[in-house]
Amino acid sequence: MSTSDHPIRCLSGADLRARYNATEPVVIDGASIEIPVGRISVLIGPNGSGKSTLLKLLARQLEPEAGRVILDRREITELPSWELARKLGILFQENVAPHDLTVEELTYHGRHPHRRMFESLTPEDHTAVEEALRLTDMDPLRDRPIGHLSAGQRQLAWIALALAQSPHYLFLDEPTTFLDPAHQFDIMDLVLRLKRELGKTLVLVLHDLNLAARYADHLFALRDGKIVASGTPAEILTPETLRRVFDIEARIIREEETGTFLCVPVKKAPPASSLFTTT
Amino acid sequence: MPTKRHAGALIGVLAVSAAIIALAALVQVTAGSYGMTWRQAFGALFDGNVWGRPEVLLRLILGESAAHSLGLHEAEPLATTTLIVWNVRLPRVLAGLMVGINLAFSGSILQAITRNELASPYLLGVSSGAGLAILIVLVITPALGPFLPMIAMAGGAAAFLIVYLIAWNHGTSPVRLVLAGVIVAAIAGSLQTGIFFLAKDLSVVQNALAWTAGSLTGAGWEQVRLIAPWTLVTIVLGFSGARYLDVLSLGDPAAKALGQPVERTRFLLAGIAIIAAGSSVAVAGLVGFVGLIVPHVVRGMVGSLHRRLLTGCLLAGPALLMSADATARLLFNPVQVPVGIVTGLLGGVFFLYLMRRRREIGKL
Repeated sequence: MSTSDHPIRCLSGADLRARYNATEPVVIDGASIEIPVGRISVLIGPNGSGKSTLLKLLARQLEPEAGRVILDRREITELPSWELARKLGILFQENVAPHDLTVEELTYHGRHPHRRMFESLTPEDHTAVEEALRLTDMDPLRDRPIGHLSAGQRQLAWIALALAQSPHYLFLDEPTTFLDPAHQFDIMDLVLRLKRELGKTLVLVLHDLNLAARYADHLFALRDGKIVASGTPAEILTPETLRRVFDIEARIIREEETGTFLCVPVKKAPPASSLFTTT
Repeated sequence: MPTKRHAGALIGVLAVSAAIIALAALVQVTAGSYGMTWRQAFGALFDGNVWGRPEVLLRLILGESAAHSLGLHEAEPLATTTLIVWNVRLPRVLAGLMVGINLAFSGSILQAITRNELASPYLLGVSSGAGLAILIVLVITPALGPFLPMIAMAGGAAAFLIVYLIAWNHGTSPVRLVLAGVIVAAIAGSLQTGIFFLAKDLSVVQNALAWTAGSLTGAGWEQVRLIAPWTLVTIVLGFSGARYLDVLSLGDPAAKALGQPVERTRFLLAGIAIIAAGSSVAVAGLVGFVGLIVPHVVRGMVGSLHRRLLTGCLLAGPALLMSADATARLLFNPVQVPVGIVTGLLGGVFFLYLMRRRREIGKL
């Protein structure tokens, strides 16, 4: 589906604050964010900066202590859970499924929010599942049990489940972290196709800055629960911003062939607290 | 969703289970203090004097008092073999069938909602709580017969809640749940034994003892009538909940992302498991391990999708329970041991097998 079918797409969070437990420190502390529709956004930041937490807040997987999230012009808390699940799919860092479940069976679970209690599968369900399997190239492996897949294939199978929900928004929390380079490309090329061919809005958490630089339309840099920089990769990937966000000294090289920026970390920066300012 | 490998396995499970059920039923109908050949037993089972006359059939199934209030005529006397088969042996077969279904369903559901392969009504304290509630009621007032399943369910639900509260620590883990189940079962067990001493009548104690061990001896149409409606409820609700069990088995975050309110769903599904376990405890007492073994074995063959798993349990549950009951009847013939002793032995061996086979035990 293209974005023009849904003229009121928008996803934003305002003044969000969150913690996992009343006794634990605040993880997100006054973050406001507006996700560009039909684009690939990537959240970057050091460990513990709140990237995954922000993603969970925007997906209503975690309730904020303060602030609100607006999805398609509605307060996200007002959406029935099945309706939210039709609009937004999310891939978590860690996933568990019974090992004997096949790829196809897992993907069919993505139709759950579209089915009423006693409703059997409709042609629409089958179409959505076939489409999800095709997009993720999992069609040849559809009868393979999850337990027999490689890490990269398993990741793609879970993305197929999320795609079967037919969401416009797709969130991926560190989808490439434990994968070899070839599988990283599989995932990121899929992400690119979802944007280009289907006009979906994608939000990713990535640790690999070079992957982020190459695929993102927009970067959000987090530190200490706040968004400290936001812009295109060219705007964000500067030695100054990297020092401010990651405490590293880095050189930025423009790679001729792909036209993307490469970040080459040189060393850890001297204590950055004096340099650190919030935007 | 066609999954050829598993669909074939399901047919195999159903066929083998049906054969075991038939064999166990045959043993139950023919064996006993009144010896019968299987020819005689079949003759009695398909006696035209029963099947040909609805009022006789209804009188047997509904019981004398209900038949009387329905205004059914007095029946002509039936042959002795027919009376024995229809009044004593057939109801025990049917009660075993339904207890088997209920325990297997209860175990399947509890294993899915706790995502724990060690979960079962027995190990999570549900059976013990149900048993304690029943014993208390039986000793204080034996007049509450028809309400026994409900009383058992209330006890089972209370025990399940306590187990969950004990195990809860920002969520639960398989091992914590089982430990909490052991604690609750131990306490309920001592209280049960303590109650024996309060009973004035020695026959009550003997009955209660057989019942704590888990027994179908003496199960009649009254027990069948007690459990039948709940078995129907269990089957209907179980299959309605199959897809929700599947979604929960993907883990809480994934289930939530698919639009399923996790905690509420878990408690509603636990309700089905408690109905199933409570009603079988009310009829057969504390029969352990059926709810652990059956879902485990069936899952290994037909996979984790609950529509298939529950379909397999529908026959595999009774197959295990009825064959154990037939064994219990024949083992020290003519003395009958409670079926719970046989399933307990089986369960011990099965647990050993689980521990040897899997290093990382407890996770589903």
